[in-house]
Amino acid sequence: MMRILLLCWSLAPLLWQLRTSFLVGDVLVGEQSQPGLSPWTLANYRLVLHGDPSLIQVLLNSTVLGLITTLLTLILALPCAYGLHALRGHLQRSIHAGLVGAALFPTVLLFLSLLQVARSLGLANHLLALSLPYAALSLPFAILLLQAAINDLPPELEDAARLDGLHTLQRLRLIVAPLLTPALASTGLLVFLASWNEYPIALTWLSRSDRLTLPAAMGRIASSSVYTIPYGPYAAATVLGSLPLLLLVLLFQRWIISGLTQGAVKG
Amino acid sequence: MRGLQLDQLTRQVAGRTLLEGLDLKVAQGECVALLGPSGCGKTTTLRLVAGLDPLSEGRVLLDGHDISHLDPGQRRVGMVFQSYALYPHLSVADNLTLGLRVRGIPTSEREERLAQILALLQLEELRLRRPSQLSGGQRQRVALGRALLRQPRIMLLDEPMSNLDAQLREELRPELRRLLTSAGHPVLYVTHDQQEAVGMADRIAVLDQGRLQQVGNPRELHHHPVNRFVASFIGRPAINLFPPLAGRQLGVRPEHLQLVPSDGIPARLLRAEWSGPQQVLWLESAAGLLRMLWSPTSLPPEQLLVGWADDAALAFDERSGERLPCCEPGWNRDLIRSLQQ
Amino acid sequence: MNDQGTMGGKAMPLLLMAPALLLLALIFLWPWLHYGWLSVHASSLLTGLKAVPNGGANWQRLLQDGRFWQDALQTLRFAGLSVLLELGLGLLMALSLHRPSRGRGVLRALMILPWALPGTVMALGWRWILNDPYGPLNGLLQALGGRSYPFLASPGTTWAFTVLADVWKTTPFVAIVLLAGLQSIPRDLEEALRLEGAGSWTLLRRLQWPLLGPYVALAVLFRLAQAFGVFDLIQLLTGGGPAGSTESLALYAYLNAMRFLDFGYSATLMVATFLLVVALSLVWLGWMRWQGARG
Repeated sequence: MMRILLLCWSLAPLLWQLRTSFLVGDVLVGEQSQPGLSPWTLANYRLVLHGDPSLIQVLLNSTVLGLITTLLTLILALPCAYGLHALRGHLQRSIHAGLVGAALFPTVLLFLSLLQVARSLGLANHLLALSLPYAALSLPFAILLLQAAINDLPPELEDAARLDGLHTLQRLRLIVAPLLTPALASTGLLVFLASWNEYPIALTWLSRSDRLTLPAAMGRIASSSVYTIPYGPYAAATVLGSLPLLLLVLLFQRWIISGLTQGAVKG
Repeated sequence: MRGLQLDQLTRQVAGRTLLEGLDLKVAQGECVALLGPSGCGKTTTLRLVAGLDPLSEGRVLLDGHDISHLDPGQRRVGMVFQSYALYPHLSVADNLTLGLRVRGIPTSEREERLAQILALLQLEELRLRRPSQLSGGQRQRVALGRALLRQPRIMLLDEPMSNLDAQLREELRPELRRLLTSAGHPVLYVTHDQQEAVGMADRIAVLDQGRLQQVGNPRELHHHPVNRFVASFIGRPAINLFPPLAGRQLGVRPEHLQLVPSDGIPARLLRAEWSGPQQVLWLESAAGLLRMLWSPTSLPPEQLLVGWADDAALAFDERSGERLPCCEPGWNRDLIRSLQQ
Repeated sequence: MNDQGTMGGKAMPLLLMAPALLLLALIFLWPWLHYGWLSVHASSLLTGLKAVPNGGANWQRLLQDGRFWQDALQTLRFAGLSVLLELGLGLLMALSLHRPSRGRGVLRALMILPWALPGTVMALGWRWILNDPYGPLNGLLQALGGRSYPFLASPGTTWAFTVLADVWKTTPFVAIVLLAGLQSIPRDLEEALRLEGAGSWTLLRRLQWPLLGPYVALAVLFRLAQAFGVFDLIQLLTGGGPAGSTESLALYAYLNAMRFLDFGYSATLMVATFLLVVALSLVWLGWMRWQGARG
């Protein structure tokens, strides 16, 4: 029973958006639909898909940025986690504590400085350049998650590899990375989600409409007209924008949750 | 000089001394067991020889070369870990040949050596399996194969039997020994199990708290222990140590305790345990708990008087535990008398 | 048992860590140096957007800025209430997911959906739901015979619904952390208690809640810090209104930079907010430690 309630709680607002997305604008504001005409329509979707920017373009931007960020983050985080694991003593503990602090940080506070950096380097509106700060924002918890996973590996494996004559990078490539595949997947998914979700930095860096990410595009729609917000199209954008992530979550929920869980246990 | 030589090997970490001043030689084709309780330094020694941990003082010499500061991969050392440490994501064949691959050994030679090892250890049918699909004994063989494949100049084994059940251990022991000695390498074998040490090794080095206590063949250790620790560690059931008297402590092994008509220590039978072809009697006496061997052709009496032959007792210095050169008959009498009240 | 680690010293590990740490330092540390510098300069439209040193003028202004203190209070209230509700609701969610059942996977996936979706996506959705008079909430109200209510025009209800929207989005995170904690409790203990006839409530009070301590601490710490920096929701749902009653510190700092173009003051606000977050975190950690030491 409780589960049904919680499920309703979780899904109701989204389902309402789903309903809204199919309604004709007039009906939304309470006017009766014309006799003989259905109140249901796909017009909202058409508007959103053919608008400027097209929602497809926006989703593409978010996806590409997400993938690049995830790749960059994992490439930087894995060696770092391995090195952190091998480091001992005070230095390791201090860096570990620092990473925990960085992971807790409300990152919105960074936007001004990053914006000025972007402007002075001419990187504003460069979609891929955004992956650098994005990767940095995800690095702390990525490093911590991967380090925890490396800690779980039997230490004798490392010894055996050293005896086999593998030097550090070879051990990382041939032994550690393959054995870390589940952790890499979980971490990657969480990074991808975080990248899709980020708002303040995207908002300030991106102004060209064809470069917007999903949150930035939503923000733009919201602030576009002060008096009448196009709720119908907005709902359609909500539904379409949610689909990719919905798919991701449904398919990979186990990995996503395991990543969060591991982070909690080792945190 | 061929074989392994450990010269004043010492390792200290964070103020603790894990191993101190170890001198040991292991000749070609010889198997030396490192025996001792947990924390005595035996695994530390093995890791120092393998190069997995850095040494604080001393040298490791292999076939006359000082390898003390070489990387593990450069030392021509083969090691079998307690948990076998097989790579879970690789097949048996890949597990065996990873080291060769990394060294750039050409494929043809790799395949040849692989085939030899697979045949030697009867692993041919398992070559494509993953470690998770193997039994304990099979994993041990793969671990052994991986160590042997590198054509090492010395073999190191860290309690390789401890993950197997008792019966399997007994069955595999002669087989393992045969494999190790036939290759002709010096072998260092770590174990905490006396029986295993006696079964596998030519000589046994007993360690306690980072120091070498005594090294010799099982017979020497049993009959001529240099101190109290070795005397009590070697020999099952354990030696009976009596309360110290006049700065001396006497010890008599269970097999030397016998019933005496008079001039003995009064004792009461607590329990009789079967141990192979004999019984071990647990006796309660003024000297504490005593163990005595009894052949089961008759029932052991409830109350007994125990004594021993004059030359059967070992004498130790009460404080240092050092064995005193010989045991005066007078000491035996004094002790028995003191315990007769 | 190794004083040098498996890489023979500190050099190799540090080398491996260098690229990541470099990027981190760039993105996390540099801004604070920048802000610190900016906060003692005047940089706004008045100075033609050039930075002119002005000593502690920005800081003095901050201390006397009623809006800043008002926002700080509002943000604190928001964070506090939000986290409290998330803890309660999250615990309920965690408990219901803890019991084994078929379709648990799908259940979990659907429950974390609010957290996984971008906050911006639903922010306007909430605005619609609360819309007067056409939104569904008012529709319900009217259907029940009442009159439609301008939820977003009155400070009290606006604030309440902002908290609600935030709780809706972030509770799943708390739930997952608590679930991890529940799952780490050995089964035997649970079964032993159940055999003694303990009901769910007793189980919770006696066994689960005490053992969840570290997880609760972690979740709260995390959420407090995040909630203090709330931006997305406020900007899109209420814009800080009505009459600045829901404005958060982050939003205020943002407005100063992007709308008023007063970069010097904006930087000052950021630093102040950061210090408040650090202070809050330390207070929480300290309280947790004191609690732990007590019982």
